[in-house]
Amino acid sequence: MEDYLPNEYDVVVVGTGMTESIVAAAASRIGKKVLHLDSDEYYGGLWATFNFDGLQKWIEDLKVSKTSTKDVSEVDLESEETFLKTSNEYSTVENIEETWYISNDADLPVVSSKDTQTDSTGDGSGSGDEKSDDDKVEKKENVKQWSIDRIRKEYRKFNIDLAPKLLFARGELVELLISSNIARYAEFRAVSRVATFMDGKLTQVPCSRADVFANKTVSVVEKRMLMQLLTSCMEQGADSPEFDGFRDKTFLEYLNTKNLTPIVQHYVVQAIAMATEKTSCRDGVNRTKHFLNSLGRYGNTPFLWPMYGSGELPQCFCRLCAVFGGVYCLKRQLDGVVIHKNKCKAIISGKQKISLEHLVLGQGHLPPEVVTSEGEQRISRGIFITDRSIMQGEKENLTLLYYPPEQPDQEPVTLIELGPSTNACPQGLFMVHMTCKRTTNAKEDLAYVVNKFLKAEPLDPLAIRSSIHSHTQTVSPDKRHIQEGDQDNRGESTEESPKPQVLWSLYLNLPASDIKLNESTPSNLHLCSGPDLELDFDFAVNQAKSIFESMYPDKDFLPRAPDPEEIVLEGEEAPGPKFEGDTEAEEKQDVEKAEKED
Amino acid sequence: MVLDQDVLTVLKLLMIGESNVGKSSILLRFTEDEFHENMQSTVGMDYRTKQVTIDGNTVKLAIWDTAGQERFRTLTPSYYRDGQGAILVYDVTDRVTFMKLETWLNELNTYCNKTDIIKMVVGNKIDLPNREVSTEEGLQFARRHQTLYIESSAKTADGIKCCFEELVQKIIQTPGLWDRHTLINSYGNGNMGGVRHRGQRGIQLADDTQLHNRPSNCYCSLI
Repeated sequence: MEDYLPNEYDVVVVGTGMTESIVAAAASRIGKKVLHLDSDEYYGGLWATFNFDGLQKWIEDLKVSKTSTKDVSEVDLESEETFLKTSNEYSTVENIEETWYISNDADLPVVSSKDTQTDSTGDGSGSGDEKSDDDKVEKKENVKQWSIDRIRKEYRKFNIDLAPKLLFARGELVELLISSNIARYAEFRAVSRVATFMDGKLTQVPCSRADVFANKTVSVVEKRMLMQLLTSCMEQGADSPEFDGFRDKTFLEYLNTKNLTPIVQHYVVQAIAMATEKTSCRDGVNRTKHFLNSLGRYGNTPFLWPMYGSGELPQCFCRLCAVFGGVYCLKRQLDGVVIHKNKCKAIISGKQKISLEHLVLGQGHLPPEVVTSEGEQRISRGIFITDRSIMQGEKENLTLLYYPPEQPDQEPVTLIELGPSTNACPQGLFMVHMTCKRTTNAKEDLAYVVNKFLKAEPLDPLAIRSSIHSHTQTVSPDKRHIQEGDQDNRGESTEESPKPQVLWSLYLNLPASDIKLNESTPSNLHLCSGPDLELDFDFAVNQAKSIFESMYPDKDFLPRAPDPEEIVLEGEEAPGPKFEGDTEAEEKQDVEKAEKED
Repeated sequence: MVLDQDVLTVLKLLMIGESNVGKSSILLRFTEDEFHENMQSTVGMDYRTKQVTIDGNTVKLAIWDTAGQERFRTLTPSYYRDGQGAILVYDVTDRVTFMKLETWLNELNTYCNKTDIIKMVVGNKIDLPNREVSTEEGLQFARRHQTLYIESSAKTADGIKCCFEELVQKIIQTPGLWDRHTLINSYGNGNMGGVRHRGQRGIQLADDTQLHNRPSNCYCSLI
């Protein structure tokens, strides 16, 4: 049964991704009447974080088309109104490939009955019937071992991000969370080390005084060299005369004039600026500055990670929106929009026609008629559950690694490794996220980095279980074995600690984040992009800001919300909104009163 | 006033239940000893804090309200995160709200990440004459789901204090559910600025501009 929603709003927001949620919160915060819908039953869209069970369900649901079946003829239109059906084609996830590298409990004991359990296509849950008492006895010895069943059973202890993102300690989002007082809804972990791959092995990039002292690979002279360079980036910025001769040159070309030793240059390019050969000097300097600016605020790297995953953050903004009266309804399909004289006048959702002043749409809900470019910045993602860190340390680490391409046709890969203290996975496991720009498909794009740092081969060759749900193209299972048979495994890393064993992996391609609308798009229809390729949330925050400014140019963007202690509820005046019919935004008066007392 | 050092821990409690059963009223009665007859849908009710001393232990409670997101059953998973106690409220004069408790309990069990979260079922509005759910039914439900049970009236304040005290007592008696080292300044309270919040919980961001006027830079301070 469909919930009945009030029919009139100032702002209707469809999709609960990061940008949508920030805009919803900002509009609600200044007293606008906001309706926030999502066709999914979870928050976050492609920005969501799932537990293991939720992720499986998400994968299953992708097979089901969610595009509205509503026909124009069913819509009750007035004269001069046109109806545009919305489509989810701009949020299509492709090339999903999920693989287990471990066995079911039932397969664990190495017993003669093994030949009966070689099904390689099932989802792995069907073979538990053969358990005998003998098996159970033997299984007790395998208590410590990770099996498919055990991971499924401990599904709650996983928080798996579709679009993992870090926050710069002085980036847009941290400042916004603090200034808006939304920070109270979230908790973070500091990224404990920035790693880089140098001279055939992983090393930690020194970010703090203690790190530098502890670092034996950099000489005192090199440390001075590094400081001088960083100081000039930091204090003078990209517009300083220092960089005048490099306006149209690359960052690397600039660095080459500074007589840096290879180690120092490596640190600056690959770890601090996270730049490629193509990065412009201006971008390189700005990125370096951004990195340095964020040092020393929380922890010993510039980065923060949201506890329980990136998907928590849209929810924080939704909470604020609700606290200020925003109405939430999930699992609610948007069928289309009603246009009247080049303005969005209403949306059609189920049996209801809901009128609005502004319509904010996530990219999964756009009418194809308004899209001019489908974008190019598509994303390849790999997610891996592993049994140890890529770089073993004394304590649990939260690691960021930027890995530049080895070949011209490859894209740089961002790797984030999360441990149990972030609630990404249970004790004893790690969660590795890889992200890069898509060139072919996720698995092929990431293969060179996967092979470098992980052991993605089945522990028991008979136990590999691959369930491939592919929407467009499929990598054949045979090809995988060719890719994995690389020489690195036997070669260089034998004296080092062994590579992390992958227990489970998921590859997927996310849609482009740079979709463009055409010029005839109604001015009160605002597009919120999906997750972008950058490491942080700045793109989403800036997009939300500019949407809000175009809607309400004279209003403050997310001013500080009062703490509960500062709110005084008035006696007989009803502090709540009249739920229907009341068009004035008077319901915020009590909150505003409270703010004056600040 | 009790000094922060004397506070044993901070506990997160959740208010759950259908719209208009009196969740916010119970919360306001307990924290401010106020009651508003015509309080409508919850706006601006985020969470409230109160310090209580039970059996000689002083604890700070952060009690979270639904902010109206319960209306279409769209509470965020993050609402349930780290909750140590849940107060499931129904209206004794409205059987439907009692029937819906089962759904709320399911949702709570799905999302709360502490498996031993203590639950308290509260039959509210006992001051009203037209009761539809008997005490016996409420008790049976609580027994079946192994929760605490109390009846209350936010209007007359009947049972309100008792409800929170019993819940907190039970939480304190449950080892492993709370952490003595949880810092006091969580939930935006008593902010000291630039807080580094460690241990099992994460870092909470706070305005640290008073502490560090200019951006600190580890590299630059090296030489």
